[in-house]
Amino acid sequence: MEKKITMPRLRPEMENGVLCAWLKEEGDAVQAGEPLYEIETDKVVNQIEATESGVLKKQLCEEGDTVDVESPVAIFEVRA
Amino acid sequence: MMDKRKPEWLKVRYNAEAVNEVAALMRDLNLNTVCKEANCPNLGECYRKHTSTFLILGSICTRNCRFCNVTTGKPLPPDPEEPMNVARAAKKLGLRHVVLTCSTRDDLPDGGAEQFAKTVRAIREVCPGTTVETLISDMKMNTDALDVVIAAHPEVLNHNVETVEELQAAVRPQARYQRSLDVLRYCKRQDPTLLTKTGFMVGLGETEEQISRLMDDILDTGCDILTIGQYLQPSPQHYPLARYATPEDFARYKEMALAKGFRHVASAPLARSSYKAWEVLEDVHDLY
Repeated sequence: MEKKITMPRLRPEMENGVLCAWLKEEGDAVQAGEPLYEIETDKVVNQIEATESGVLKKQLCEEGDTVDVESPVAIFEVRA
Repeated sequence: MMDKRKPEWLKVRYNAEAVNEVAALMRDLNLNTVCKEANCPNLGECYRKHTSTFLILGSICTRNCRFCNVTTGKPLPPDPEEPMNVARAAKKLGLRHVVLTCSTRDDLPDGGAEQFAKTVRAIREVCPGTTVETLISDMKMNTDALDVVIAAHPEVLNHNVETVEELQAAVRPQARYQRSLDVLRYCKRQDPTLLTKTGFMVGLGETEEQISRLMDDILDTGCDILTIGQYLQPSPQHYPLARYATPEDFARYKEMALAKGFRHVASAPLARSSYKAWEVLEDVHDLY
C-alpha cells in the first residue's frame, strides 16, 4: 500500500521545516525505525524515522527545500 | 563569528508515532511536559521510552529567563486535579522514577510548593515504589515553602543554577546566583537524606576558570549530583549561543567535577537535568 509521508510538526508553533538531507534514496528498502531524512530546527538536527517498513518510492522534495507542516515529502510503499 | 552549523553530535532521532502516543496521554489528562514546552531535543528519545518530565503549575512562567523556551506571562491558578492526573499518567507510562518540574510561580505566596507536595503524595499513593525527583524553582528562597517540599520527601531535590556567576544577570535576570546556591544548601541541611542535584549549561560564553569556580560553589552547598549540558538557543530572540562544546570538553568537565568530589556527574552535549534521571539515581544509590 502506498502512503504519503508528511512533514511532522516538531513543536506546536512550527509552520514549516527545511528538509536538509535525505538519508535514503528512491528505491531503498527501509525498516521501521530507520531514519529517512533530516530536518534542522533551532536547537538540533532531527533524524525522522520511518514508522513502518517498506520502500521509499519517491522523494517529493529536494535537500534544502522548505516544506509546510503536514505537506507530503515522500511516497512510501508500506510492506504488506 | 562562530560556525553556527550544527555539529554531528547534535543529531537526534524523532519517531512521530512514539511521540504522538505520549503527547495524546498528556493532552487527555490536561498535563504539560517540559519536554514539549522547552522544545527539548531529547523528546523523541524519551517519549519513545515512555518517559517524560511533568511541568506542573501550568505552562506559563512568571519569569523571563533568556535561555528558556517556556512562555512568560500571567499564569492560571493551580489545577486541583493536576496532582492526581500526574500520578495517573506516571502509572500509565509505567515510570519507575518521576521527575516533576514547574513554571516559576512568583505570583503564588508559596511559589507552588503545596502543589509539588500534593503531587509527590499522589504519586506515592498511586504508584508505590516509584521514586520522585522535584526540580524546583528558587521559590524566592522562602524557607516555609521549601520546607513544604522537603516534608513531602522526594528522593531527589533538584534546583538548577543554570550558568556561571558572571553570566547570571544576563541569562536569568530575575534569579540570583547566591539565592540558588542557598536553596541547595538549605534543603540539604534541613534533610541530609535528600539527594540534592543541580545543573548548568555551557556555550553561553563562560570560561573554564568560571566553570571551575561554579563547581566549587555548588559542591560547597553539599550537592550530590551535577548535570552539565550544551546550551541550545531556542530561537534567534533568545540569548546568543557562544559556542558548541565538544564531547571531549564534556568529558573533561566530568573529570573535573568528579575530582572535586561530586558523587555523580552527567556531562554530555544533550545531557539535561532530567535526562536519564533514573539511571543517575541508580548509580548514586550504588554508592551507599
